[in-house]
Amino acid sequence: MEQEQDTKFEMEFISTSGVYKTPFSLIIIVQLFIGGLVLILVNLWFINSLYYLLTGSEFFSIGLKAEWYYWLLLPLNIYGNIFLFVFTIIIFSAGVFKLLNKISQSKEGVFQKGSKDWKYMHRRFWTAFFPIWLARALPLPWLDIIAYRFFGTKVGSSVVLYEGYVDPEFVEIGDFTMTSLNICIFSHLIYHDKVLIKKVKIGKACVVGPHTIISPGTVMEDFAVLGVNSYTKINQNLEGNLIHVGTPVSITLPIQSVEESQQKAVKVKEGVKDSKENQLESNKDLKGG
Amino acid sequence: MFQPASLKGESPVPIDEGVRNKYLVIYILIIILSFIPCSLFEFWYVIYFWSEPFVWLFFLLIPLNALVAIYIIHFSAILISVLILKVVNLIHAPKEGIYRRSLEDRDYFFWNIRNIIKKWPLYVLASNPFPWFKNRFTLRFFGVSIGKKSICDNSWISSEFVSIGKNVIIGMNSSILSFGIEQDNFILKKVRIEDNVLIGAKCVLLPGTLIKQNASLSAHSYTNHNSVLEENSIYKGHPAKLKSKK
Repeated sequence: MEQEQDTKFEMEFISTSGVYKTPFSLIIIVQLFIGGLVLILVNLWFINSLYYLLTGSEFFSIGLKAEWYYWLLLPLNIYGNIFLFVFTIIIFSAGVFKLLNKISQSKEGVFQKGSKDWKYMHRRFWTAFFPIWLARALPLPWLDIIAYRFFGTKVGSSVVLYEGYVDPEFVEIGDFTMTSLNICIFSHLIYHDKVLIKKVKIGKACVVGPHTIISPGTVMEDFAVLGVNSYTKINQNLEGNLIHVGTPVSITLPIQSVEESQQKAVKVKEGVKDSKENQLESNKDLKGG
Repeated sequence: MFQPASLKGESPVPIDEGVRNKYLVIYILIIILSFIPCSLFEFWYVIYFWSEPFVWLFFLLIPLNALVAIYIIHFSAILISVLILKVVNLIHAPKEGIYRRSLEDRDYFFWNIRNIIKKWPLYVLASNPFPWFKNRFTLRFFGVSIGKKSICDNSWISSEFVSIGKNVIIGMNSSILSFGIEQDNFILKKVRIEDNVLIGAKCVLLPGTLIKQNASLSAHSYTNHNSVLEENSIYKGHPAKLKSKK
């Protein structure tokens, strides 16, 4: 039954991943509150100790007495507040995310709007939204990879993942993979009142070109390259060590060195008369299609 | 959702250089005016809380104070730009058509003026932590109608001559343009999207597009000027062509 639905999805078109605004989306306020609370408590303690150093009296007394070196923490306090705020929110919402996963385990398949899995998918997305938004607003480019790891996405080491829409679950990215500007990695796809969830697997040392869309169910094998401006169909398998291009992906090209491609370019320039031969040669290189 | 930092901003508008330099005064005026309610609030906050029994609260409420100040700036920015926009629209009402792309043309000139007025509130609200503030809330003040239960948070939508129906899904990173530049011509035409339409990721709708009920546009495709997508059908390609009926 489910497989039939899958093939039907493949037949039609690729849409988008996204969520409706539900009452649960107000969890952003809770996250802000929790982050702010920790911030206030740490700062109150710090301001209290500085006040003690200045005047000798305290707003309130806690066991620790302030020392002179507390002044050295002042520059750290100003910049560290931002990181304190972001990290408390990331850790808190990762906890909420795990709790939601325990209540209703996330699973692949096609779900109707309003069903239990659909609801919990929305809840998980809204919990993950704000921490990732914050992590990307900070000047540390690798912070959002850490945030993604907290939400259970498997991201390898030395991965470039700064400039794209990436769903926080059912995504697996291998070591040394590079993703370019403005990409979409979707493990969820809306289809009017249904949602399709399928795992995306990206292997080791892959290159995902700019302006591409990776649909749910795509498997990129190790060392595969996805060309500029192309998108993959649902459940497509991209073979390793090859370049894949097309909307949707339909052409495969071999990966060649600069010298090889230059030699070919010279051949094409020289052989206007025997252009047929060249064409045959280049047709041999095309695989699939 | 989960948009990268580089795409977090408001929808880009090519404001003419002559207007941009000459009428910078309006832009700065809007910024200064929108800060006045915020500074009044801060003044009241300090006066009220910096007294003996409340010093505690003064420190305790500083984070909340920052949040309230941001929202006051948001609302006053919208309010002031809408007021100025109404005055400008009385001088010259916006209307659709094809114009010459020079500042002597009144329609083109006033289109630039309108966009320079809208720039500040759109810029400020694009950096809001609540994603539905960026389009769904802000654009309603500038005359864009967006229906209930529609997803349009991660797309670039022009701030006038756009109407979006109920239950519409607009994909990530797709742009809906009600203006277009073609050499010396400037085109301004309404984009209409009816109920229950689904638009995929990275689509581009050019001015004059009409998408009828229940139509779907596949990801990574664009529509031509004045193209009509029929109801209950699926469109796909560069430019979008009929693929199948539902």
